[in-house]
Amino acid sequence: MLKIFVGFVIFAALAMFVIMKGGDSLDMSGEKHGADAVHAPAEAASVAASTASGASADASAAK
Amino acid sequence: MATIEANRPMSAEEKKVIFASSLGTVFEWYDFYLYGSLAAIIAKQFFSGLDEGSAFIFALLAFAAGFIVRPFGAIIFGRLGDMIGRKYTFLVTILIMGVSTFIVGVLPNYASIGVAAPVILICLRLLQGLALGGEYGGAATYVAEHAPAGQRGAYTSWIQTTATLGLFLSLMVILGTRTAIGEEAFADWGWRVPFLVSVIMLVISVYIRLSMNESPAFVKMKAEGKTSKAPLTEAFGQWKNMKIVILALFGLVAGQAVVWYSGQFYALFFLTQALKVDGPTANIMVALSLIIGTPFFVIFGTLSDKIGRKPLIMLGCLLAVLTYFPVFEALTKAANPDLYAAQQKNKVIVTSDPAECSFQFNPTGTLKFTSSCDIAKQVLASSSVSYDNVVGAPGTTASIKIGETEITGYSAKGLPADEAKAKSAEFRKAVAETLKAAGYPAKADMAKFDKVTVVIILTYLVILVTMVYGPIAAMLVELFPTRIRYTSMSLPYHIGNGWFGGLMPTTAFAIVAQTGNMYNGLWYPIIIAGMTFVIGMIFVRETKDVDIYADD
Repeated sequence: MLKIFVGFVIFAALAMFVIMKGGDSLDMSGEKHGADAVHAPAEAASVAASTASGASADASAAK
Repeated sequence: MATIEANRPMSAEEKKVIFASSLGTVFEWYDFYLYGSLAAIIAKQFFSGLDEGSAFIFALLAFAAGFIVRPFGAIIFGRLGDMIGRKYTFLVTILIMGVSTFIVGVLPNYASIGVAAPVILICLRLLQGLALGGEYGGAATYVAEHAPAGQRGAYTSWIQTTATLGLFLSLMVILGTRTAIGEEAFADWGWRVPFLVSVIMLVISVYIRLSMNESPAFVKMKAEGKTSKAPLTEAFGQWKNMKIVILALFGLVAGQAVVWYSGQFYALFFLTQALKVDGPTANIMVALSLIIGTPFFVIFGTLSDKIGRKPLIMLGCLLAVLTYFPVFEALTKAANPDLYAAQQKNKVIVTSDPAECSFQFNPTGTLKFTSSCDIAKQVLASSSVSYDNVVGAPGTTASIKIGETEITGYSAKGLPADEAKAKSAEFRKAVAETLKAAGYPAKADMAKFDKVTVVIILTYLVILVTMVYGPIAAMLVELFPTRIRYTSMSLPYHIGNGWFGGLMPTTAFAIVAQTGNMYNGLWYPIIIAGMTFVIGMIFVRETKDVDIYADD
């Protein structure tokens, strides 16, 4: 159990280090589906619900 | 006898079983999350050359790959697992997952081979979804069938930590590669490295799993010629078992799934999208809470051996139902007090023709909302503005009233793309400026951000996750007989988590846009968790003392 605890602490410390260093470049939002998975951010419209997939932007609505 | 079994320490063989199963499952999650974490780069490499129509089809396929196929993987590999054995089946699932991931790492992009690139990528993603659908049930069944009676909750709870660990591992490899080779090289070719690294993990997992023995329960059943010849028919074609599958889905897994998604991912989405907290800070807060919470998977798994699985899972669902609204409101106060104050002070009113307003449920992200009502509500919902709805005369163009200022919306129906873009920009600018004047912050003020309170709240949400998720593998295993266990437990697990859980962000956003209150998205997990609580309390029996070999 002690070995697992030590291992977990090291893993957790490393993970925190990575996440703190990662800044804006890390995406922790997990799985991507639908339009999230096929649209690069630059092409996605400006509605801020990218993770929700719920709102394709009105900017592209008339295409 | 049972007491002696329950109290004896874990043997070396049992430790190896748990380690091998959990390690493989960590790698499966690693492979699965890589795709999510690198979605932006992958989209640029594989989908950016597609026209609108093709992008629509690929969005549907990507949706299917993420959600739809997992239960099919559960059926295909569950059946195999009940016929040829647990060990070889979850060896196959990890091979499919590992090889698919590796091929993504060497797959030429759209610029090199055209439309074949996204087609192959989607096929690989479908294979990953299938493999994931088969993996979890195999690992849980394999570990549970090695565990002594009275310790199945403790043993299987280790597998429950793997989704979190897999997410962290994928982030660590991605950032390690990024740092080593630089941003430009990473965007160009370095993104392939984390996919290629998976082959090392695959070799380790396959080597360890090959050295394991088949589950003793399955070996015994096979020796006696009692294995099922038609697991699917037995599992889902006979009401006696099908009834338990349905109860497992609605009375256990559905609630577990929405609580899991709320704590693991929706909290992050809420922080960044609704509360406008900057991404890096939100990531650190959520990661800290996940780290603090992770040991609770094992704590609650072990506790479930003592007090039962059902009380813990039901309590987790009940606490979610009772506390999500006040907890998320407290999160707003702690993370973005200016937004909270503005929401209390300034009324925003949307006047629109109800015939123009739709429920903006768009799981694939491919629907287009063009009416003035939908556009106005989208803009407000994405700005975290709570608003009241007023019924306008038929044919009225929707308008937004903020304080004393009224902004008339627009309809994008039939407008050329350029004109729609220009109108959108103009409308958004007008709304943003008026909101700013009314005290709505464009971003959370980090000087007022209460880190300690935010971490405490997020940790509470993660602890609810561990309460419902820690004991659930043991409970699902104990509900079904050995001959059809793999099949029977895998399907409700993946329908629950893939469909009920996976649809949470989309459904929550649609509810927020529809009702004009940023907390109303929480009705989705609350209703599902409430349903699970009621069904579970009435119809699902406690299983911790069940002899899982009684019907063999």
